[in-house]
Amino acid sequence: MAVETQTLSSCARAATAEEARYRIDRPIAPSRAGRVVALDPGAAEVLRRTAQQEWANARFYICEPAGSGAQDVVLRGIDGGPATLADELASASVVVMVATSDAGADCAYTLGKACWERGIQTAGLVVGDGTQAGTAASAAVAALRPHARVLLPSADEADVVDLLSALRV
Amino acid sequence: MLRQDINELLTRTGPGTPMGELFRQYWMPACLAEELPEDGAPPIRLKLLSERLVAFRDSYGRYGLIDEFCAHRGASMWFGRNEEGGLRCPYHGWKYDTTGQCIEVPSEADNSSFAENVRLTSYPLVKIGDVLWTYMGDPAKQPPLPEFEFALTPAEHHYTSKRWQQSNWLQAFEGGIDSSHVTFLHSGGLKSDPLFKGAKGNQYNLNDKKPFFEVADSDGGLFVGARRNAEEGSYYWRITPWVMPSFTMVPPRGDHPIHGHFWIPIDDENCWAYSFDYHPMRPLTEAERQAMIDGHGVHSKNIPGTYRPEANMDNDYLMNREKQRTGEWYSGVEGIAIQDSSLQESMGPIVDRTKERLVPADSGIIKARQKLYRAAVGLRDKGVTPPGVDPAHHHVRSAAVVLPQKEAFLDAARDDVTVRPGMPISSV
Repeated sequence: MAVETQTLSSCARAATAEEARYRIDRPIAPSRAGRVVALDPGAAEVLRRTAQQEWANARFYICEPAGSGAQDVVLRGIDGGPATLADELASASVVVMVATSDAGADCAYTLGKACWERGIQTAGLVVGDGTQAGTAASAAVAALRPHARVLLPSADEADVVDLLSALRV
Repeated sequence: MLRQDINELLTRTGPGTPMGELFRQYWMPACLAEELPEDGAPPIRLKLLSERLVAFRDSYGRYGLIDEFCAHRGASMWFGRNEEGGLRCPYHGWKYDTTGQCIEVPSEADNSSFAENVRLTSYPLVKIGDVLWTYMGDPAKQPPLPEFEFALTPAEHHYTSKRWQQSNWLQAFEGGIDSSHVTFLHSGGLKSDPLFKGAKGNQYNLNDKKPFFEVADSDGGLFVGARRNAEEGSYYWRITPWVMPSFTMVPPRGDHPIHGHFWIPIDDENCWAYSFDYHPMRPLTEAERQAMIDGHGVHSKNIPGTYRPEANMDNDYLMNREKQRTGEWYSGVEGIAIQDSSLQESMGPIVDRTKERLVPADSGIIKARQKLYRAAVGLRDKGVTPPGVDPAHHHVRSAAVVLPQKEAFLDAARDDVTVRPGMPISSV
């Protein structure tokens, strides 16, 4: 015999404010191991200030070309400490790249490729108005576009904070 | 996630709240013109931004939006008699004109000036297109009338409907700029809905379920671009404009009419979803208009005589598990509008955003919340006029375009997302 598992209007009952009291209220752990990477000196300044805020699980880096060959990059912590790209990505679930110009185009390529190979989500923020052609910011947008799953081409410093906060990193 | 205090600020729109004051800077839909179809038509009750009001059209064709309750004893003016030049309370006969001015108190002496000193709160009510628009802010700061293209096209070019949504306005609005849900929730509609199907762009949608997103500021709000792979060397871009506080458009498909929404708070736990379709270049066909009336596309099939959808939370949205299983209706609920409302209402009257786990694909929503917060606080603390008040900000269109991979979407599509009278929409 078929058993009726639903009562009529279960949606109406479940969606009330009163029923909201019964939603499971378990503390939410930081869900993202975020790596936040400055791609150029201007972006590094932004991240130095951002890193001073309290973050659950975010780490901040500066990425620079290694000089030893195209697409080789050096990663170091925002405080100048050494870091290795492979090690940092091994425990990352999202990489947020921040740029103010196209100076970090090689870094964006290398980071984007490494993230794609590892299945790591990417986001890019261009601080400045990257929607105006011919600007440094628009060049940064062009450099980041192929490598960032989500791109904010006209971000400001508060966008970096708001995005990281919303992502719970 | 969002801090609780910011969630409170963004979702509360009653008088005196920061977000309520923000909404009161704008012209916004109060009701459909069809609700007051003729001079002297029966008045209708409205609640907007947690204020109870009555709208009426007097015997001279003038529209009025006034406090619902008579100044005398507080009876509802919905019971009012729409008489010559005003609405009369049937309790003791006090009569008001469309500005809320009391024009007759029968119990007073014939030469009494008492009525001159009685005035109900009133707001302007203006017909543009299918919509009666109101402005509920400081009369001294009343902006010019709205210039959204859908309302300015000839009557035979557009169609507007509305439906009651049992949730806070913000979670309804956020669906309007959340491009990433379309590939899943509305996937069935791309193949079968008469107002969507057949467009070449649909195939790009269905072939690439992991779009890239770009979120760019505009003068009035945002442009949210979703790009998917198209032919070699090119991307298919779907561009969604948002004009503050709550106007959104859906990127078009083929030569189908273009559509969008206004999300208007009734109170903090209910909102109106206004849905429009229009074609700037031609009248809607009879089949298109009938499809809209029947609840296809972005519209809903409502209970006759009401603006409540037939599929609603009281009947579990007529859930069909078989259609869900086959994928014809991805969620098991029929129709784009109800697919959205069913899930948004399921979140509760005001969703607790402190519990969210957002992902980078939610950047449009993250950025929109930030802009709303900044605008509300800027208005409250410094009196800054928010984006979207200036009618020039209304001159936007959504677009669906194929661009070379190297092109920046707003550089290449600037004209496509701008209203150009006499020019077709940009659609694939």
